[in-house]
Parts: sequence; C-alpha cells; structure tokens
Amino acid sequence: MLALIIPAILLTILFLYYPLVFIFRMSFTLTDSFLSPSGPIFTLENYRAMTGRYLSNVWVTIKLAGLSTLVNLIFGFPFAYILVRKVRYRDLVRGFMVFPMFGALYVAFGMRFVLLPGGMATPLLNALGIANTQALYSLPSVVFAMSIFTFPFMVMNIGTALSNVDPTLEEAAACLGARPLQTFWRVLLPLTRSGLIAGALMVFGWNVGTFAEPLLLGTINEQKSLAWTLYQRGVVQTDYGLSTAMGVVLLILAFAVTYFSLRYSHGALVE
Amino acid sequence: MNRRLNSRRLGDILSHAYIWFCLILFVTPFAALLSYSFTGSQGSYAVQNFQYVFGSFGNNLWWSFKISGLTLLLDLLIALPASYALVRYPFPGKQVLFSALTLPLYVPGAVIGIALVLTYNFTYHLTSSIWGLVMAMTVGTFPLMLTPIVVALKDLPVAFEEAAQCLGATKWQTYWRVVFPLIGPGISAGLLLSFIIVFNEYLVTLFVHPPGVTTAPLRVFNLVRTAGLLPTTAALAVTMQLISFVAVLAFFRIFGTRYLKGTYLI
Repeated sequence: MLALIIPAILLTILFLYYPLVFIFRMSFTLTDSFLSPSGPIFTLENYRAMTGRYLSNVWVTIKLAGLSTLVNLIFGFPFAYILVRKVRYRDLVRGFMVFPMFGALYVAFGMRFVLLPGGMATPLLNALGIANTQALYSLPSVVFAMSIFTFPFMVMNIGTALSNVDPTLEEAAACLGARPLQTFWRVLLPLTRSGLIAGALMVFGWNVGTFAEPLLLGTINEQKSLAWTLYQRGVVQTDYGLSTAMGVVLLILAFAVTYFSLRYSHGALVE
Repeated sequence: MNRRLNSRRLGDILSHAYIWFCLILFVTPFAALLSYSFTGSQGSYAVQNFQYVFGSFGNNLWWSFKISGLTLLLDLLIALPASYALVRYPFPGKQVLFSALTLPLYVPGAVIGIALVLTYNFTYHLTSSIWGLVMAMTVGTFPLMLTPIVVALKDLPVAFEEAAQCLGATKWQTYWRVVFPLIGPGISAGLLLSFIIVFNEYLVTLFVHPPGVTTAPLRVFNLVRTAGLLPTTAALAVTMQLISFVAVLAFFRIFGTRYLKGTYLI
C-alpha cells in the first residue's frame, strides 16, 4: 500500500531535493566552468566571496527580514488580541486580510502608486515634510511593504496562541491588583510565547527571500537582497558558481529559522 | 464607577479603530492600483484599460489559467493517494516523511527557481516545455494541497470505511463513494490555497518559464520593471487580485473558514 505514496516521493526528490543537491555541488565550482568540456573546476572561491565581497548582501537580507519581523510583532500582538477578545465581525476581517496574501508583487506595485508624486500618501507626506521620491525609494517603504505582506501570518500564529489563553486569567490578574501593563508582561506574554516565537520565525523565513519589494521600492542598498542578486548573477550574468552559493546561503538562512519555528509552533501550525 | 466605565468604552473604541486602521492599510495597495487603473492617458476615466486586459493581456491570463489548471490536477492526483497512505497505514518514519514532503513550502522561491532552471538546463532538458513550469509549480504547492487533505482524513472516523466494507463495497468503491465526498471540504481547501499561489506566482516563473510563455503575474512584473507605471498594468494586477478574491469569497460562502485553519490562510 506504500505504492500510493511513491508519486509524492518521486515528485519531491526529482523536482526539489535533487535540484538542491545539484546547486550545492555547483556552488563549489568556478563561475561557469560546470559547462566546460574539460570538466568543472572545484573551488571555495564562491564562499570566500560570500563572506567577503557579498557579506553586506547577506546582512541587508537579514536586516530587512529582521526589521519586518519586528514591525509585525509590535503591531501584530495588539491586532491579534483585539481580534480574539473583542471583535465579532471576524469573517469580515478575514476577508480584508486575504488581500496581502495574493503576493508581495501586488503589494509592492500598489505601494509604488501610493508613494508616487500625486499618489494617495502625498498629503500625509507633505504634512510631515518628506519629499515623495525620498519616501518611495527608501528602507522604511521596503520594510512596510514586507510587513503588510506577512502580517496575516503573524496574526494567525499569535491569534491561535491567544485563543488558548483563558480570559478569566486576565480578570483574575486585574482582581489581584495588576495594572494592564503588568497583566501583559506577566500573564499574557509568558502564555503566548510559543505563538509569538513561531510567528516571528515564520515571518522571518518568508521575508528572507524578499524579491519584488526591494526591487520596486528600495534604493540600491536594499536591492542588495540575496534573492535579487542571485537572479542577476545567475540568470543575467550566468555566474552559476556564485549565484548557487547565494542560493545555498539563502536556503540555510530560511531552513535554520524554519527548523526552530516548527519546534515552537506545535499546535499553531498543525492545529 | 462612571469614570471607569467611560475609560472602558474609550478603550473599546480605540481597539476597533486600530483594527480598522490596519484593515485599511491592507487594502491600500489594492485600492491604489484600482484607482490608478481607472485613469486614462489624458487623465480621463477609462474603461479601455480593462478592455486592454482582456485583449492584449488575454493571452497572459489564458496561460495563467492553463498552468494553474494543470498544476492543480497534478497536485490532486499525487496528494489524494499520498494522504490516504499517510493517514491510514502505519509505517516507520511517517513523521519524517511528512516533514520531507512539506518542506518545499519553506524553500525561498528564488532558490527553487535557480535550482530548477539549472537542472532543467543541464540534466532534464525541460527548458522549452511548459511541463517544466508546471512541475515547478506542482512541487511548490504540493504541501498546501496535502496538508488540508491529511487533516480532513484524520478527522474522519475509520468506522465509515469499515461499515462500507462490511456491506460488501470494494476498496475502490469505498474510497470514491464514502471517503472522497466526506473529505471534500479538505480537498477544496487544498485546491483554493494552491490556486491562489500558482495563479499569482511570478518569482519561480521568472526563472523557469519556457520561451514564449508569459503568465499574467510575470507580465505585471516585467512591465513594472521595464515600461514603468502604466494604468493598463495596474488594471491587469487588479484583475488578477479580483479573480483570486472571488475564489476565496466563494470558498468562504460554501465551506466557511473552518477548513483553512492552520494552513496558509487564517
């Protein structure tokens, strides 16, 4: 009866695991020597470049993912709390929250129109004394677009953790004289820790591969994001060695967090 | 007492205001695209933009639907037997296998893209066939199809199948006439999630699309990058999002949100 599962195993091996092994091997070869008739030249040069010349690309990627995770945490917790405890029109909220999930591309594209001279945000920006172009191509706008894209994942994880917390615990804390802030720090936060960590890691893992947002909204500095550089080096300039090494680094970043997020998210993801 | 009641009401008002503030932020990018897609070249109100979507971009939309359809079909054909084996038959290493099958969900799109385009080039020679693209989409969305079906099967008591077999049904009959209808909502959830991802996918497509095949999201991406900002591009992006939204709404109406718990959508 295990024959039933063989197509699934074949699919993932042929179109995921084998290609990943393939690029792992390729990441140790010199530029495009993998193709040369005299055989590939093996080298550690690509990884030396990753820890030297391209180290700033790795940092930018981590910084963007980290900042958007932070924004999601700060704004996601109150949102999830209100949603779970006070809101009765939850289906409506779900309907609205679906929009960012259609893809980072549309979010980034839409944000460009918002921030464009004459766009929706112009009055607000004028009031703050910021020029449109200054806002359009900047770190905050990239982080903002990335945060909107992943906000629903964060709310999903925190909301699941919160709905398992009995509301009477908060009432008990209040009866015993705790102020709201104390209740938050000493009751709610410890009880929802697993959801917060799972959500943060999940958001980080998704945003590490950011592609459209830095490209459409960022300066040259944000465009150093690994996923975009990988595309440039690999597909446009055919430096296969370097671009596969970037792929391996990106994969390690995403997997490291995924491993921890799966450990913390028992219940949040499966339930 | 009165003061406390007032501060509580104020808190409630602020809470709901915060929720609405966030919701407005969520739809702002979409609203901006929508309003821009109605502007014409001379600043006039122009429905021509949407006529353009079904005219000049019609081909791209058609490719998107075709790739999505083929992907969903393959996903379903592979996930149905796999989920049944995973839930109903005991075998060692089941948890590990399930994790290994759902791992593609966590691989960044750019990594899947570069890995597949290189293996297609040098090993599989799939670069000029649309099956390369379809397989890339299938492997990426397979976990989204598998998980809801596994959850639905786990919730289904074995007693139904045992009863059917006691009454003389073959295994095949039991599956199609008892199990399949009962896990229907799980299957639809998988179909919905996979559809939304495949239909709007541009990143992996950018790497592995065969020459001459440009799906609608890839067209949006290319146009934004090269042609700058055009109302017609905005109209195409709006159309894509509206189609996806209608799919989600239809699902919510028919099955509710229960079957999407713990998956990609709330």
